[in-house]
Amino acid sequence: MPGRRLVLAVLLLALGAPPVTAGAQEPFPSRPITIVAPFPPGGVADLTARPVAAAMEKVLKSPVGVVNKTGAAGAVGMQSVAVAKPDGYTLLLALSSISIIPEADKLFGRPPAFTVDQFAPIALISADPTILVVPADKPWRTAKEFIEDAKQRPGQISYSSSGIYGTLHMAMELLSQAADIKLRHVPHAGGGPALTAVLGGHVDALASGPSVVLPHIKSGKLRVLGGWGDKRLAALPDVPTFKELGYPTAEFYIWAGLFAPRATPEPVLAKLRATVREAVEDPDFKTAMDKLQTPVNFKQGAEFQAFFETDARRLAEGVRRVGKIETK
Amino acid sequence: MAETLQNLAVGFSVALSPSVLLYAFVGCVIGTLVGVLPGVGPLAGISLLLPATFGMDATRAIVMLAGIYYGAMYGGSTTSILMRIPGEAASVMTCIDGYAMARRGRAGAALAIAAVGSYVAGTVSVVALMLLAPPLAEFALRFGPPEYFALLLFGLLVLAYMSSGSMLKSLAMAALGLLLGMVGIDQMSGYFRFAYGMVELGDGLGVVPVAVGLFGLAEILATAGQPVPPEVIKPRLRELLPSRAEWREAGAPIARGTGLGFLVGIIPGSAHVISSFVSYALEKKLSRRPEQFGHGAVPGVAGPESANNAATSGAFVPMLALGVPSGPIPAVMLAAMMVHGVSPGPLLISQQPQLFWGFIASMYVGNLVLLILNLPLVGLFVNLLRVPYPYLYPAVLTFSILGVYAVNGSVVDVWIMLTMGLLGYVLRKLGFETAPIVLGVVLAPMIELALRQSLAMSDGRYGIFFQRPIAATLLVVALAMMALSLRTFVRRGLDWRARMALVEKGES
Amino acid sequence: MLTVDRLAGAALALVALFVLWQSRVLPLGSLGNPGPAYMPTVLAALLLLGGVVIAALGGDAPRPGALGFREWRHVVAIAGACVFAALGLERLGYRLTMLVVLLFLLGVVERKRPVAALVFAVAFAGGTFLLFDGVLRVPLPRGPFGL
Repeated sequence: MPGRRLVLAVLLLALGAPPVTAGAQEPFPSRPITIVAPFPPGGVADLTARPVAAAMEKVLKSPVGVVNKTGAAGAVGMQSVAVAKPDGYTLLLALSSISIIPEADKLFGRPPAFTVDQFAPIALISADPTILVVPADKPWRTAKEFIEDAKQRPGQISYSSSGIYGTLHMAMELLSQAADIKLRHVPHAGGGPALTAVLGGHVDALASGPSVVLPHIKSGKLRVLGGWGDKRLAALPDVPTFKELGYPTAEFYIWAGLFAPRATPEPVLAKLRATVREAVEDPDFKTAMDKLQTPVNFKQGAEFQAFFETDARRLAEGVRRVGKIETK
Repeated sequence: MAETLQNLAVGFSVALSPSVLLYAFVGCVIGTLVGVLPGVGPLAGISLLLPATFGMDATRAIVMLAGIYYGAMYGGSTTSILMRIPGEAASVMTCIDGYAMARRGRAGAALAIAAVGSYVAGTVSVVALMLLAPPLAEFALRFGPPEYFALLLFGLLVLAYMSSGSMLKSLAMAALGLLLGMVGIDQMSGYFRFAYGMVELGDGLGVVPVAVGLFGLAEILATAGQPVPPEVIKPRLRELLPSRAEWREAGAPIARGTGLGFLVGIIPGSAHVISSFVSYALEKKLSRRPEQFGHGAVPGVAGPESANNAATSGAFVPMLALGVPSGPIPAVMLAAMMVHGVSPGPLLISQQPQLFWGFIASMYVGNLVLLILNLPLVGLFVNLLRVPYPYLYPAVLTFSILGVYAVNGSVVDVWIMLTMGLLGYVLRKLGFETAPIVLGVVLAPMIELALRQSLAMSDGRYGIFFQRPIAATLLVVALAMMALSLRTFVRRGLDWRARMALVEKGES
Repeated sequence: MLTVDRLAGAALALVALFVLWQSRVLPLGSLGNPGPAYMPTVLAALLLLGGVVIAALGGDAPRPGALGFREWRHVVAIAGACVFAALGLERLGYRLTMLVVLLFLLGVVERKRPVAALVFAVAFAGGTFLLFDGVLRVPLPRGPFGL
């Protein structure tokens, strides 16, 4: 009966892939790994996740894909990994905001979407300090002038950010707290609009990752006043850090790290760590990150753990001091 | 001028070189596919292909990614016209008259007009982009929150022209839509509003699930159970293309849509969707037969479709001329340029003339490729309507669920679509139009953010809207138009009551 | 007299009251510094007004009985299929869920011949999966047995 055979053929074709037997002994990985980027395409998380995935795919010789699960400033994607099956097939590429979100939830008395200890750190991929930029037609030439002026006119100098309690907001807040100044916050819906606002002169300042503003500094539209790193940036050797200027607590990095759900078995984590270690050495990966002007800052194990914990503590403190936004 | 032509010649020599041409073609094909299929918008398409371009040279990569972007805008109207599923916010307006045309058996005409309108809009906008990019970009940057707020008020004005029924009901629906747009994290204070502990509602109700629910699913719910299933439309070949009269009707709206779309497009931000809304309103206002709108008016397809394509090209102005991420998609394109070692910014045109002019020239070529690609597809797509309804609607339902899920990979969006579908169905039964709800959901977050940002900038003083020349001008025009439409409101309100009385008499 | 418009207007007014009630937990702010509850409160007030006016003017609208819900069986079936899809998508995987949805709609609701329904359902669920997951690399959920 050709008809029935056709039906069968269509059935087999359509239902595609042969069944995979699930078992404890299956070698890892035996099916595609998914890296969740909790931010929209084109952002730092996405742009880091894609080369990482490509390089891991080469090392593992097994597919590694990236999914953008966006929403609620990253909370949706992060939560989805926090509660995902801890089998190593669902990973998270998180940014600094992973430590901010649970704090902000606490502040508002909401049940937290997730907590940082729901994740097992795998590796830090990059960590870029933010830098302070102002439109070139503003009067301030140095960070000192900027801070002096802000002290003279509290609440008059405005800055844009990627969103309330977002990374760019927290960077500026840490500076405000360190220098004891008060700035006017105009939140925007993401890093792109925040940059556009400072380029158009609608706000007076912005804390931003270096790579996106470098072209505008070079073309003379923006002026850079200072950096949040613990040492000066290679690309901007003349720009002092706030640490040098006497504000040691104004330290902030936009970092990108790879995480797995907490309960992932140790052998799988070990395999993933080894894979990422090899992946960051991949020449294509290095070229991609170079072109993005995002220096690779690879850290693993205890080193990453320590970095992560210090950073989380600093941000938690920052969020608490910002407090709820007062509405008169 | 001579210099521009010379540069353009260089550009065409780049764009017509076989390898660049090939990548432009591949980009257009993928863009069309991505645009036609619901759920996978241009943003997803570009980011999926971004890693594949890592190994290419910058010009080819940018040309291909841009092809995906404007290719998707061409294809975006297809499901709106055929199935009433808007793939993205920009094609919401096309769902109204495009689908009505399809039900009248003019699906082919609607698709062809959308394709030709997109072609004209695309090509004219590239000319404008080429000649005016640097000065326009500087102008576009002057749009801050106050200007944005004034601009968005025009989007609200559209409501006055949207409905063919009762104005009062439309306004109530708009208020409901604006309220639904309030769901999610308040971007100014971080409070969760009306989310009831669901993190997925943090960014609010997505436009795609709301629109697919209110349009696509509600349509299925209302139609599938009719005792007589909708007639199968058997298109004949000569009916595929628009008639001479339809072309005549489409001409002026295409031209106006192009101009409008381009101007709105150059403004950084996500206001591009309002270009299609405003175009629809404009066409209805100017039309001699406004009563046809909502029942398959040709200008209701031609205007908005041209506007959203022109806006796409317009968005390249600040991106290429200044390196400003003028929207989510240009932001990905900028990232793609950086991945390829091209540093975007004001110096791009002078430092990378090959890339800039090659890109411009490839857009001329790409738009032509898309037209040639899309017109034959019209015949193919229209034949989908031959499928009998009992088979068609389960397929449309599958596409709706799949499309809504694929946008964010979130089941919550499927639930939102279902809820909106039931709401839309009930509201249709009760004689309400649902398009204003979608409009409200799109506009509410933008309007609120722009208003509160402006007030944050001015420390609570409303004077900011009148001290800035662009904002003040826009606001005065918007308020004047609002006053005018209020006059119509009163008149039409009377009409409505008179009409209802007639209906009552006729029935009783 | 109860009419369609009175019913709808009342429902809208109720929604508006609900929103007003729910907004009370959020800071209202002021005209110059609107808080998170400001816009919702203003809009809900507008909706309340709209609902009341619709109800007040709706005396001439048709009676609810005149609407006719002959298609209710289909509405329930299709909505049920959507509920199943939403519940099943991430548990059974895309292909199985859609297969069941399509089989149900074609075989049970539309009473098509089982073979036709099966072929269509299998081809459509599998085909869309191949297109999206395979060609376009949009990851769709997989269920048991890698389906």
